[in-house]
Amino acid sequence: MTEVRLAERPVPGPFPAWEFPAAVSGQVPSGPGTLRCELPGRRLAAVRLVLDAGAGREGTGQDGVATMTARAFLEGTQAGGGTALTNEFERLGASLFASADLTALRIALDAPVTRLAPALELLGEVLRAPALADSDVQRLVNERLEEIAQEDADPGSRAARELRAVLFPAEARASRPTGGSRASVEGLTGEGVRAYFGSIVPAEATAVVAGDIAGTDVDATLAAALSGWTSSGPALPTADTIAPVDEARIVIVDRPGSVQTYLNISHSVPDRTDPDWPLLSVAAHVLGGGLTSRLNAVLREEKGYTYGVRTGILRMPYCGVFVTQGSVHTEVTGDAVADALTQLRSIRERGIEADETTAAISALADRAPSEYETSRSVAVELADASASGLGVDYPSRYLAAVRAATPESVARAYTSNVDTDRLTVIAVGDASQIREPLEKLGYASVTVTAK
Amino acid sequence: MAEQPLHEHTLGNGLRVVVCEDHVVPLAAVNIWYGVGSRHERAGRTGLAHLFEHLMFQGSGNVAEGEHAALLEAAGASFNASTSFERTNYYETVPVSHLELALWLEADRMGTLPAALTQANLDNQRDVVKNERRQRYDNQPYGTAFERLCRLTFPAGHPYAHTPIGSMEDLDATTLDDCRDFFGTWYAPHNAVLSVVGDVDPEETLRAVEKYFGGIPAGPATPEARPGDLGPLSGVTGEPVDEDVPSPAYFAMFTLPTDGGDDIEAAEMAAEILGGGSGSRLYDRMVRRDQIATEVWAGVTRLAGGPSLALVEAVGSDPEKISAVLDEELARFAAEGPTEDETARATAQAERGFLERTETVTGLANALSQNATQFGDASRVFTAPARAAAVTGDQIKQMAGRWLAPGARTALTYGGTAK
Repeated sequence: MTEVRLAERPVPGPFPAWEFPAAVSGQVPSGPGTLRCELPGRRLAAVRLVLDAGAGREGTGQDGVATMTARAFLEGTQAGGGTALTNEFERLGASLFASADLTALRIALDAPVTRLAPALELLGEVLRAPALADSDVQRLVNERLEEIAQEDADPGSRAARELRAVLFPAEARASRPTGGSRASVEGLTGEGVRAYFGSIVPAEATAVVAGDIAGTDVDATLAAALSGWTSSGPALPTADTIAPVDEARIVIVDRPGSVQTYLNISHSVPDRTDPDWPLLSVAAHVLGGGLTSRLNAVLREEKGYTYGVRTGILRMPYCGVFVTQGSVHTEVTGDAVADALTQLRSIRERGIEADETTAAISALADRAPSEYETSRSVAVELADASASGLGVDYPSRYLAAVRAATPESVARAYTSNVDTDRLTVIAVGDASQIREPLEKLGYASVTVTAK
Repeated sequence: MAEQPLHEHTLGNGLRVVVCEDHVVPLAAVNIWYGVGSRHERAGRTGLAHLFEHLMFQGSGNVAEGEHAALLEAAGASFNASTSFERTNYYETVPVSHLELALWLEADRMGTLPAALTQANLDNQRDVVKNERRQRYDNQPYGTAFERLCRLTFPAGHPYAHTPIGSMEDLDATTLDDCRDFFGTWYAPHNAVLSVVGDVDPEETLRAVEKYFGGIPAGPATPEARPGDLGPLSGVTGEPVDEDVPSPAYFAMFTLPTDGGDDIEAAEMAAEILGGGSGSRLYDRMVRRDQIATEVWAGVTRLAGGPSLALVEAVGSDPEKISAVLDEELARFAAEGPTEDETARATAQAERGFLERTETVTGLANALSQNATQFGDASRVFTAPARAAAVTGDQIKQMAGRWLAPGARTALTYGGTAK
């Protein structure tokens, strides 16, 4: 065989300079605030409209009405008009989507820059007079009931639902599914949906437009498209700020016959206004961010228990949740949880190495140019910063704070915010096989709940 | 649509290189397609192409175990790999300062992978892959539907009858020698295309590619792949699936023309008009009007060495009713063809799809590698909107009648459990 001749390993130069794209604020008269972000070369424009009508502001007994309003909105201005509306956007090469989470009701419009104006006009027509018809809502209620069954059958989404139910007190909206439960959704009506939409205050919304929009008067187009959209009802209730409660617990959601156990190991942390958030992001990366992270080095690359686990922080309205999740083979569930707990405790016990911190900072901050390459990703981040009251400069401030992290500051932020003796462990799997190994860990009492 | 100039070169060892400048963001995307996938596996070794993809991250001659990922993570890279029927794809998008490091890492594993193959790594990644199979397919409701439909659609032993994940038995049976042979047979520079897209100088980049890859020997010629063609299906081959799923559902597969010719353009538009999204014929009929399904979706997988595939999925309490209505809509479409408006929308959506596929350096590099590997023409990526725009309503009608005819498909019926 011919010899392989390879060049020496190159030594990379310094990272190129890059800034999170700047946005310019504006205002539609008596309508939403606007953020305009010019991104040269991005021929697909993204519009993200965030309405202060997330599920956190639903009234008592109305769980799911925000999600239902988002879905019914997509049916357009005529009862049964969803197909026609979708087709109108498709003709422009555009697409419209809407969804709700606890923080906001979010409307997403993507369109080639060349057809942004007519796409925005079409969106404006729906905002001014959505049908939100009884018949459409009734059908969408049935679809949501079906979706609940699908969510319950999916191990990851079932674990997420259980986590919120045990981590938050029952009176917190966050303890219950964002899209509502079977019982609450069955009670939703067209009338309720119309009332909810009517209570949305346009002046409390923000519209973000990103893309290669230089030379187009986006502000004027937005003003024209969004004019005449008004509020018609009483203000929505204020969202509750009830805090989560951390304690050591193991909850098995029984899924008989499951060949894997889906694990979700969590602790609450402060929200993004807290200066520790960027440091906690670095800690999450060190623990479960990539293939070389502490958890994956053991659980995947050493032991082969899993295809991979991931640690991250969920963005909730008034807090974050520091969560590690992934699927492990049923028969190693007890060992996998033991190893995961050991790694989650390791920062307290042995701190963080300098090269771990450097690598995590690069993985978060130097990957940002790639993460924010499209109009959509930039617009989503700006819209979310706006919906969460963080300010248009939040993405830049966050990245700067990540870059300033040190091994000591990250270890301090982690140990002071995450009590590894008070983690909530959700295990969606076959209780008959995993209960005993989880009890043997001696970490916390084990409760079993039905699927 | 401004076509971006491509800089192409073939190294002495046969490695084809495509470079494209894109100075919008200070990134470089590196993308390699190797012309090997699950269709090249032999009987008893299904899943080997994909398992081997995992071993490519376990170190090579000059890269220690775990170092590949460690270097790329510390470089702020997004990186991964994927294995399909026809190819295996490795890619990393790095800050442009780290382009040469990425090239060096790819060259090292292309040139010296077997030096790092160990039984321990094979055993570990076999466990990881078996957990990948459980997570993505076995432990998901309806998760094995695509695999089952391929088995129904293609005759036993056909190269496309099994999917890239492979079977647990074959994964267990795979040996280190299998892995060495697989590398020696398929991972030759002349069986690969390397694309680099980003904030780069084309001449410098081609020089760097020569520097890092030029010393890898050409290796032996790759064997001829077994023929993969298959025509339109006839009759309905159905299979009830006895699995604990939340709701009854109906899944169907159709063959479509092979990618690369004019027919697939029209056939894919036909499938899109029928079931692509919430403005489609099937969605309007089944979900909005008849309300016999709560969800219906159709999508196309283009294949270049065998038939492309169309998949239709519908969730609803009466799968037989869904099947009957599907036949009605297929018959109507085959007879009437698309409206002018449907053709126009399908064209606009094809252009939109092109913009989405090529808007990032990562996406464009992948599309260039694909077109160079499968059609010998990287620049074909830029003709996608024009190819779609050239399709007429008559062609769509003809393709629908030939490939998406009523009563000609494979199908799975999920009975569901009581709620």
